[in-house]
Amino acid sequence: MTTTYRSLALRGVAAGGISGLAAGLVGLLLVEIPIRAALAVEESRQHTGGGEHSHEEALVSRPLQLVGGVLAPVIVGLAIGLVFATAYAMANRWFVDRTPFSRSLSLGVAVFGAAALLPFLKYPPNPPAVGDPDTVDFRTVLYLGVIAAGLVIVYGASRLAARLQHLAAPVRTTAVLLAVVAATAIVLLVFPASPDAIPADMPTAVLWQFRLSSLAETATMYVGLGLVFGLLVDPAVRKLKTTV
Amino acid sequence: MTSPAAHLSAVQVPKWAFAVALLGLLVTYLVLQENGLALGASSELLHEFFHDGRHALGVPCH
Repeated sequence: MTTTYRSLALRGVAAGGISGLAAGLVGLLLVEIPIRAALAVEESRQHTGGGEHSHEEALVSRPLQLVGGVLAPVIVGLAIGLVFATAYAMANRWFVDRTPFSRSLSLGVAVFGAAALLPFLKYPPNPPAVGDPDTVDFRTVLYLGVIAAGLVIVYGASRLAARLQHLAAPVRTTAVLLAVVAATAIVLLVFPASPDAIPADMPTAVLWQFRLSSLAETATMYVGLGLVFGLLVDPAVRKLKTTV
Repeated sequence: MTSPAAHLSAVQVPKWAFAVALLGLLVTYLVLQENGLALGASSELLHEFFHDGRHALGVPCH
């Protein structure tokens, strides 16, 4: 079985494109509903003469923004797919006794936890019409910091699991999970709260519909990436095709 | 069944792989984080075009 980095990278890009497109469709079908409701809140604010900041100067039309809404996860998927393939190729400690499919899927779930679920818990995503322009740089740094901390936890967990190889598998799994929970709790406690308050005119239902559908989109993107990449790299998939 | 160990040791990651991965992160940054930090005023168009996508992926925005 000769696997070159090039073949892995190409499969990463393909898997990222597919999962990115799936995530984009989740965005178009689910996330757009609360985004539309949030833009209506923003618009009614302008009519009452509230904030002076506006997206509605029509630099980019709404239909074009819908295209951008699908294109963004596709492009990010292609790019993340490439990074994912590189990480997969170098992850020689990650669930070494499992099949390539299982290794890829579990890596995708781990990346979802670190790069999407952890920032979701600490800094829940907000729809348009929420967010203070003055704090966006600070919030961006916090957001990227939490993602970096999450990725460090994933890396540390795989190192710890390799270190505890002498323990029985159930004991080792429990120890690693406890360490991950403790590290996650520390990250959630140490990082400061978001500086922004949710404006009173933003309905809670819209806010949470947006947040949960956004989580569905990122889950599609990262877990989908691990799933499709696993299908593309596992030789067992091709074997099945020829024997059936 | 496959033999994962053999599969693993067969992968040689060349040095340029890191440059490629870095390029991937740069593209992600340009699509998701470009608030004018890197491209200045010309990024406004990019920002607005990807506006829905940024929000939907949970990236902080004004």
